[in-house]
Amino acid sequence: MSKISAPKSNREFIEACVKAGDAVRIKQEVDWENEAGAIVRRACELGAAAPFMEKIKDYPGFSYFGAPLSTYRRMAISLGMDPASSLPEIGKEYLKRTNSEPIAPVLVDRKDAPCKENILMGKDVDLCKLPVPLVHDGDGGRYVGTWHAVVTKHPVRGDVNWGMYRQMMFDSRTMSGAVFPFSDLGKALNEYYLPRGETCPFATAIGLSPLAAMAACAPSPIPEPELVGMLSGEPARLVKCETNDLEVPADAEIIIEGEICPDYKVEEGPFGEYTGYRTSPRDFRVTFRVNCITYRNNATMTISNMGVPQDEGQLLRSFSLGLELEKLLKSQGIPVTGVYMHPRSTHHMMIVGVKPTYSGIAQQIAQLAFGSKLGPWFHMVMVVDDQTDIFNWDEVYHAFCTRCHPVNGIHVYKNTTGTPLYPYATPHERKYSIGSKVLFDCLWPVDWDKINDVPTLVSFKNVYPKDVQEKVMSNWTAYGYPEVK
Amino acid sequence: MNKWEVFVMDMSELAEGKDIELSIRTLNAGLHKYTYKRVKCQVSAKQDKFPDSLQVRMGRGQLSASKYSIKVLEEVQRMPEKYL
Ligand SMILES: Cc1cc2nc3c(=O)[nH]c(=O)nc-3n(C[C@H](O)[C@H](O)[C@H](O)COP(=O)(O)O)c2cc1C
Repeated sequence: MSKISAPKSNREFIEACVKAGDAVRIKQEVDWENEAGAIVRRACELGAAAPFMEKIKDYPGFSYFGAPLSTYRRMAISLGMDPASSLPEIGKEYLKRTNSEPIAPVLVDRKDAPCKENILMGKDVDLCKLPVPLVHDGDGGRYVGTWHAVVTKHPVRGDVNWGMYRQMMFDSRTMSGAVFPFSDLGKALNEYYLPRGETCPFATAIGLSPLAAMAACAPSPIPEPELVGMLSGEPARLVKCETNDLEVPADAEIIIEGEICPDYKVEEGPFGEYTGYRTSPRDFRVTFRVNCITYRNNATMTISNMGVPQDEGQLLRSFSLGLELEKLLKSQGIPVTGVYMHPRSTHHMMIVGVKPTYSGIAQQIAQLAFGSKLGPWFHMVMVVDDQTDIFNWDEVYHAFCTRCHPVNGIHVYKNTTGTPLYPYATPHERKYSIGSKVLFDCLWPVDWDKINDVPTLVSFKNVYPKDVQEKVMSNWTAYGYPEVK
Repeated sequence: MNKWEVFVMDMSELAEGKDIELSIRTLNAGLHKYTYKRVKCQVSAKQDKFPDSLQVRMGRGQLSASKYSIKVLEEVQRMPEKYL
């Protein structure tokens, strides 16, 4: 029997968060136009509890849950851990579970699937019947998908993909979305559907269990339905769609079924993005035609509001990108001691700790990182030694400013894969997803003499004999200082 | 009077004195607020020239100070028939 007791649905998650003081129930009516988005944004910027908005203007019977995983406390709750768990503890648990045996999903009967409680087909299909929020004033549209999974199946290999690709409501039956060409769905569309002129069936699932949402935006090679099983310790419950062969999470709040039209694009954006700006241009992007909507009674729509740190765009993505890179580097036998992305870097900088046992190790790390599937999402890799605490920015910053040689330690890689979202990129680079990358090698060169060439770190821990350190620490309060926690 | 909004990268996209095609979204109150239509229309920088108002936003969502008016001539169906 599984020892994990993680919330199995968005509803269980809300309950667990309310109980822990990490969600607030908002009883007064909230406007879907800007007000709900502004509440979520403020909660993110204050690191406050997640807002559960129970009454939405114009949409009786629906509610919103915002900022689901924008704090490490809520991430711990989602994994069924103590909310006070530290980031390294949460990371260790994620690695343990995602390195375990895959757990296949189970298919349930539609009568056991709450997401089928209400069904809109044919002329009744209208996205405006859902409380689709205007998340930020000035966005290109109301966004249906900000915290969700777009479910598709590879037409040849048959593998299932759940991806979190933002989706804007264009009209009552059309959505447009930012599916980048290097994503799993982007590749399937460009390699298969577009050349054949065939439509690609999709289903958007909103109001997922937090671990299903985590899987949808994790850059893991494991198919998401199995990844959810591994993260939660039990099989994900899936149900067949009404209008296509896809299978969707049975306990999701809302399911939108339809087809992607690969040869027809409508405008998408602008939209507030994880970098803290609206950067990517309004452009003609992937178009989703909606054929059916199903939803639970009293459905809750989930909202992630991306902007300046920190929301799930930075916190969760930094977390999973860092840990997936750690797995990749370890799989190549590189002696890494850890990988960390600070959420404030808006997942643009990978900090890698390594035992520098051979020459060129930092370059090997950078080339693997930039060359991997994770690569388009960050442009800086900083490699420090195993004596530097990667989670302590003060130590990392000190290492960077003192050990990174301006000529020998900085390596620039040009014409790589980028995204249209990089604020510093030129308009041309954004349009064509052209990237560039940089490595900051903060390791002492292996060919320096350890005694005479490598400087000695002058710190309490490093220069005093153990017995002196212990004496000073045990006498600390006797000297008149307050206790150090 | 209907209220509409358009996103442009450059104000020259709002050429006056001829029929142009735009994707505009409704700002009329109600459940369909912010949904788009593709239309053939005429626009004017004079607010009282045409019956409907047209608010303008730039490429990153910035609200323009210029207020236009618009006459929607017809809806344009861009979507290929096979998807309708
Ligand atoms: C809130 C949120 C929104 C996201 N929106 C997008 C998006 O619009 N387009 C995109 O390509 N990735 C987006 N991502 C990142 C993807 O979810 C992530 O890259 C995921 O792994 C996609 O899977 P794939 O690369 O395997 O296709 C988003 C992530 C989060 C947390």
